Amino acid sequence: MKAPAFAYLRPVSIAEAVAALAEGAGGARILAGGQSLVPMLNLRVAFAETLVDIGAIADLRAVSDEGETVLIGAGVTHATLEDGASGDHWCGMLAFVARDIAYRAVRNRGTLGGSLCHADPAADWPVAMMALGATVQLAGPDGERALASEDFSVDVFTTALEEDEMLTGIRLPKLSPSARWSYRKMRKKAGAFGEAIAAVVHDPARGFTRVVAGSSAVGGPCRLEALEGAVASGSLAAEATIRAALAEREPDLDRYEMQIHATCLRRAMKEVSS
Amino acid sequence: MTDTGVGASLPRKEDDRFLHGRGRYLADIEMPRMLDVAFVRSPLAHAEIVGIEKPEEAGERVFTARDMDGVVPIRPTSNVAGHRIVGSPPMAFDRVRFVGEIIATCLAPNRAQAEDLAERVVPDLKELPVVASIDAAMAEGAPLVHADWGTNLSMETRFDSGIEEQVARATVQVTRTLDMARQAMVPLEGKGALAHYDARDGQLVVYSSTQSPHMIRNALCQCLGLQQRQIRVVAPDVGGGFGYKAILHPEEVIVAWLALRLKRPVRWLEDRFEHLTAGANARQHRYRMTAHADDRGRILALDAVLTTDAGAYSIWPHTNGFDAIQASGILTGPYDIGGYRVRTMTVATNKPPLSPYRAVARPGACFAMETLVDAVARAVGRDPVEVRLENLVPAAAMPYKAITGKEYDSGDYPASLRRARAMVDAVSADAGPDRLIGTGYAVYTEHTAVSTATISQIGVQMMPGFEQAAALMQPDGSLEIRVGVQSHGQGMETTLAQIASEVLGIDPQRVSVRHGDTALSPYSTGTYASRAIVMTGGAVAAAADKLAFKLREIAAHMMQCTADDVRLEAGELVGPGASMTIEEAAVIWHFRPFDLPEELLRDGLEVTGGYRPDGDRAPFAYAAHAARVAVDPELGTVEVLDYVAVDDCGTRVNPMIVDGQVLGGVAQGIGTALFEEVPFDDQGQPLATTFGDYSVPAASEIPMIRLDHMETRSPYTRFGVKGVGEGGAIAPPAAVVNAINDALRSTGAELCAVPATPRRVLQAIFDAQDRAAGKKEAAR
Amino acid sequence: MTTLSLTVNGEPVRAEIDPRLSLADFLRENLALKGTHLGCEHGACGACTVVVDDMPMRSCITLAASCEGVRVTTVEGFDDDPVVTRLRQAFRDEHALQCGYCTPGMLATARDIVLRHDRPDTEQIRAELAGCICRCTGYRGIVRAIARVIETKSQATAAKAGTT
Repeated sequence: MKAPAFAYLRPVSIAEAVAALAEGAGGARILAGGQSLVPMLNLRVAFAETLVDIGAIADLRAVSDEGETVLIGAGVTHATLEDGASGDHWCGMLAFVARDIAYRAVRNRGTLGGSLCHADPAADWPVAMMALGATVQLAGPDGERALASEDFSVDVFTTALEEDEMLTGIRLPKLSPSARWSYRKMRKKAGAFGEAIAAVVHDPARGFTRVVAGSSAVGGPCRLEALEGAVASGSLAAEATIRAALAEREPDLDRYEMQIHATCLRRAMKEVSS
Repeated sequence: MTDTGVGASLPRKEDDRFLHGRGRYLADIEMPRMLDVAFVRSPLAHAEIVGIEKPEEAGERVFTARDMDGVVPIRPTSNVAGHRIVGSPPMAFDRVRFVGEIIATCLAPNRAQAEDLAERVVPDLKELPVVASIDAAMAEGAPLVHADWGTNLSMETRFDSGIEEQVARATVQVTRTLDMARQAMVPLEGKGALAHYDARDGQLVVYSSTQSPHMIRNALCQCLGLQQRQIRVVAPDVGGGFGYKAILHPEEVIVAWLALRLKRPVRWLEDRFEHLTAGANARQHRYRMTAHADDRGRILALDAVLTTDAGAYSIWPHTNGFDAIQASGILTGPYDIGGYRVRTMTVATNKPPLSPYRAVARPGACFAMETLVDAVARAVGRDPVEVRLENLVPAAAMPYKAITGKEYDSGDYPASLRRARAMVDAVSADAGPDRLIGTGYAVYTEHTAVSTATISQIGVQMMPGFEQAAALMQPDGSLEIRVGVQSHGQGMETTLAQIASEVLGIDPQRVSVRHGDTALSPYSTGTYASRAIVMTGGAVAAAADKLAFKLREIAAHMMQCTADDVRLEAGELVGPGASMTIEEAAVIWHFRPFDLPEELLRDGLEVTGGYRPDGDRAPFAYAAHAARVAVDPELGTVEVLDYVAVDDCGTRVNPMIVDGQVLGGVAQGIGTALFEEVPFDDQGQPLATTFGDYSVPAASEIPMIRLDHMETRSPYTRFGVKGVGEGGAIAPPAAVVNAINDALRSTGAELCAVPATPRRVLQAIFDAQDRAAGKKEAAR
Repeated sequence: MTTLSLTVNGEPVRAEIDPRLSLADFLRENLALKGTHLGCEHGACGACTVVVDDMPMRSCITLAASCEGVRVTTVEGFDDDPVVTRLRQAFRDEHALQCGYCTPGMLATARDIVLRHDRPDTEQIRAELAGCICRCTGYRGIVRAIARVIETKSQATAAKAGTT
């Protein structure tokens, strides 16, 4: 279990990194914390001609308060978010989600941006970011662009990133102090990927409500708008409604999968409503 | 008891090097010009090898079975009538029979480059139909794993004590089908081997991460056609074994052969992917159990069919039938049952060969028996503990001859269960709508330190005989003990020193225990079957006895009395009017020979002692376990809230280490109960190939296990010890599933398979819901 | 090949390395620091955990090349570390190791738990250990050893507070 050979670059600026990607012409891959990519390289299920290690780019670790939003650098680690070192404008939700991602030693290296770009369907950040209404900042040879997290997440292990683009930051709207959230994850053991994830955010002061499910079974993060009305109105969605929303997203869920996703969603929505 | 002898919780002598990262494991050994191995393994579960395309410049860097001329494939032996056996070939010749079987061996200066090379070896495989389960293998017209057998049934055994009379008296019949999944053993250090040829000694030296150096040497001699004196096998520090390292691995043969052929060091280190695929080889049993009981739940007869999913080959030395033989021999467990009928079927499938994992087969047998006892209790409407107490062999019946023919030597089984119940009842847990609470029990008895008679009956090449230990008094009176068992976590460098201390009164800090090296230690079949403290402990005591006698003779001569007048007390040789230390006696023999008569000088202070229990009888350890769990009935998740084990391994040489053995066994058993499984699809593809899919419980999943001990001395063993290495792993699958079923009683669900994953738990609940709905429908 | 310079156990190290080399393999093969063990090579077992810039990290899924300029401490480099010194004694007393293979990673992880938490209960210690597999001990000794060191730490803190 040793990684195949690759060339290695360690740019110190975003511009350099983007140039390296362009030069790699599709054969170059970004290495962030490497906590998913390196295991896949070791298993030889991922390959790259060139790894562009963005660990030396200080700008990617910056967190800037923009007033109503905060721009979190893509290179901020899970552990930084767990410890609240970047400030908490989300009523503790980021720390809560971060705390249950893998293990501390992984969280010390793994990054928010890396997790979003890797787009594992069972990962936490894609679900949490969608639930918080994040937008992502991308840099490419033609400059920057922003995408809503729903548009960034395309499919299992697939994002809207072009091969010469990189994720530089995540812009998160702040939650009002009165906002409520719930994040429910059913997993086989501590630190494991979720078998079913439900994230619910309700921020009445901003008129913002999101219900998001995630997991491999549902093919990654998915917003269940049909359930958001009930949360917004403070009522409890019927079990049949929850199941119908899930079935619409993923008709092939088996009975077990349906049950665990519906349960996580119901409990999350109830927690937000109570 | 001395404060450093038998019964002392002495801190371990091995800890210091491990705590400083100074252990030396196989991967830590480096040799000049060493080559690393990567294997090309079969991606298919069953295929014909049409050809193997090697990269052009491969030369002496890629080898296949066709290169291994003159190497004899190892073939285990068996006395079971009609047992069809095929040993594991080192590399597949013309056919592969499981995913992960070795097709080619690639060598390079490091592992990464060896893997690069392996990627460029292209096997041309023609797919053959696969049997990946018992059902598929036993179906009418099933594809055959070994065409010349004409069947996939490798071994079948039957035992029948006669049960008609008991069946006629029984008023209750309870039948269940119970499944235990296939597991990987997962020692944290993978398997590995490093071989080189030592021209000066004229020896092939094989470093192997093994539990049984002499056994590996036996096997390598057979395969390579060498004399025993021409091979030295050394086990360095071994990072966990659990049975995985008690068998011959084909990789060991390949590495040894390559070192001879290339005349340079060759090393293979198993990685985790290899382990979880090619090494997914443990536990897979299915039981069809019927209890015939009276209306109090007294079990009168047990009627069982046991089928093992045994994989494609027979491992050496145990064969593929070891699980079935062990399980059928202990299935009635600690109970007094008058009638027993069992049929076992060992079924070949396109999977890695079934191998003995900690407590070989007994976790499956205990799971089957103990969940059946709970089902009987439910059927007669009684408390499962009460039903057990009514069925357990009472203390007064010891020694007890079981219906299986085994003799249980000593103990009080009901008392252990009562204690476990009292302990678990003392702590309560709060239930809630998402949290159903249940308590489950399991009791087992365990044949430890397997006897020579038992092994010779089965006929496998693993004959324990008399275990040997050497005690070498050094010129300064310090002591070196040499043993052929291999300590890989059990702390034998400490416990065997304690036994020497018990006999000689010597400070364990002045004792070194050397083990795991055929060049140093007397012959031994190694560490397995919870045997080391019984067998090797006894042998060390026997050697120490011999040494003590010699030291007393020396002292007697110096004190002008008879040896009978000299006592050994706390390292002192005490005569009627004088005393001397062991050190002084050692110094006299080595440096003042003119002070001693010739007959005391002649044989020296280096002795070997041999031991087996009185009459070659095995001590039976036992325990009662209790688990308390919380089940989320909507998610199917299970949390073990409390776990209690009350065991009896006779005299405890080092109680701290005994606790450690039980705790570690229980944690592995909880893994079997709730987490660990390598599922295979119907094409024989393993579906859990990383720790992402194969869940090994961590501290987060294992509660702070609570222990209590009973201490009934075995009448047959030195110091009254019984084995304890494996027992902890036996009961948890049964206790945990009984606890889950207790928690689910309101739902009507009953789980009959492990691991009890959320999917299995919810499926049991769905089935109960469907049954209830069906009944409602029928009533309408 | 790529050039790497970093500090390992207090010593500056410069090396030309294959970029695909993991930090674990760099420590073991290039520096002969064999105390860092490989148990899974995909970041899931914790055996290879070392301390990088005061944080525990998985050396099997950290590229050596990414460690430019960092300070790495392995089990061989803890001899002057007061927390690890106490942990070693507690591991011995609580029988928190058997085969020893997970022990270096456990110590690096345990050290971090002791330093980051003031008064964690047993549940928290167990949760923090979720990423470290020990196949031998059943974990009880490890959890107890960490709790014992934290207890002495809080006592020391309390005593200190008492004197000022």
